[in-house]
Amino acid sequence: MLQLDNVTVRFDGVTAVNGLTLSIAVDQVTGLVGPNGAGKTTLFNAISGLVRPSAGRIVFDTVDVLKAPVYRRARLGLGRTFQVPQPLNGLTVRENLLVAQRFGSGSVTASRLNEILDFVGLAGKAARDAGSELSLSELKALEVGKALATNPKLLLLDEVLAGLETTGKRRFMQMLKDMHAKFGVGILIIEHDIETISNLCNRVAVLNFGELIADGTPDEVFRDPAVIKSYTGAEHA
Amino acid sequence: MNARNIMILLSMAALYVAVPLLLGSNLYVMSLLVASMAIGGVALAWALLGNLGGMVSFGHAAFFGVGSYVSALLTMKLGLPVFAAILLGGVGAAVASVAMLPTLRLRGPYFALAILAYAQIFRILATEWQSVTGGSGGLSNIPRLPLIAGIDFGSKIGNYLVILTIVLIFALIYQRIRASHYGTALRAMHDSEDATRIVGVNSTFLKAMMLFVSAFMTGVVGAFNAHYINFLEPDYGFSGLWSTLPIVAAIFGGYRTILGPVIGAVVVYLVDQLVFKNFIPSGHQIMLGALLAGMVLFSPTGLLPWVVDKFRRTRDAPA
Repeated sequence: MLQLDNVTVRFDGVTAVNGLTLSIAVDQVTGLVGPNGAGKTTLFNAISGLVRPSAGRIVFDTVDVLKAPVYRRARLGLGRTFQVPQPLNGLTVRENLLVAQRFGSGSVTASRLNEILDFVGLAGKAARDAGSELSLSELKALEVGKALATNPKLLLLDEVLAGLETTGKRRFMQMLKDMHAKFGVGILIIEHDIETISNLCNRVAVLNFGELIADGTPDEVFRDPAVIKSYTGAEHA
Repeated sequence: MNARNIMILLSMAALYVAVPLLLGSNLYVMSLLVASMAIGGVALAWALLGNLGGMVSFGHAAFFGVGSYVSALLTMKLGLPVFAAILLGGVGAAVASVAMLPTLRLRGPYFALAILAYAQIFRILATEWQSVTGGSGGLSNIPRLPLIAGIDFGSKIGNYLVILTIVLIFALIYQRIRASHYGTALRAMHDSEDATRIVGVNSTFLKAMMLFVSAFMTGVVGAFNAHYINFLEPDYGFSGLWSTLPIVAAIFGGYRTILGPVIGAVVVYLVDQLVFKNFIPSGHQIMLGALLAGMVLFSPTGLLPWVVDKFRRTRDAPA
């Protein structure tokens, strides 16, 4: 369980996340939605340690992760991907996963690594240079593969579908659905596409101007007038 | 035995047997070889920090100087055996690098400048701490390398064999680190530090380890040098040349490779001393700049990668 208690993140007087309290279960797929600038990626950065909250507490599996540096959070089982893929440049695809496996939470075997490569569709590209020889969809797949190789309990996916064409998006959607079942990993996903969120998630939390304005099942949330007003999901109402 | 192992065996035979047999009687050339290998050892340590730690240092003179003073003082004041003191010289330099840990938060030129400042601090310390270091007057009569089992390591050939062994052990350590999971993570850290941290890599710890290893190696070479020249003063031990010459050598030889910096040091130093010095007796180092600029324009990756590439092209060319 990831527990956020009254988390606030401020940058130079701008409040990106404002007193957010939220529980994320590791046995389900949770969507995190909201308009641009709502504070979604900032919240991911706070959970993974790339920014330090001005106030509040973040507890993962009874551990106060705010006291833990970025690398230790990964070892605790908090995996994440970046909206703009960040491959480990200078390494091959397989080496990217090997680093994640070796330094992550540590119980991924070599056969599991091949399984992950196969699962994300990069088995045939394992020897390619990750920084220069992959397409956008392959880079996105590598992001997911790296995160899986750390053997996470909860995976934070930051707009993994953004920029993909329809076929690629459909393939990725299926992969995300299978991932939860196959790897037993909880997912917290930022995504703008409401149909994707509705198909994928058991639960949705909506942020607007850094505040939580709705939390519930996709059906409940996307009928909420406050969400319709704030988010561009009016067509779904 | 495969071709690679045969090459390694032949190279070892050439370095350990042929060079002493062929050049051992020429003390001048042997002294040039020893000096160039010492620069090569520092160049290798500098390249390790740059390639694996992602840090460009202009302050390796600090580690060189600390290593040389620690070793010299341990032998002169405490009577420690020279080889043990050389190792402790390396330890001393690694300990001194602890003072530089705060600079690991800095990146690019800021780290380079901060470490340059540290080198100056250590030089001033060595000058001012007269009761221990002898101040600007320095230390003389530093014990030479000993005679063990009939082998005089203090002779020119002995000195050569010792510095050659030190450098080859360092190259092996460098190769082992680079081939390890740590080496893979370190290579990735250069321009993807957040991405490596996010998958569990403790990047600050790994960078600190590379700083320690690089400082240790440089300190050992500095310690060896103190017992080789038997004299030490702050302006020599902490001379900026111990920072700049290894950089020139590493870039010239191929700083991305393991042996490139050593080969670069031998070539650059021998060319400088045997050729440039004859044309420009005073200020001949200016030619090193021209040599380096020429190499960077001709082959930006350095001499060793160029030679390897030429060899492969020749080998793979259709008959």
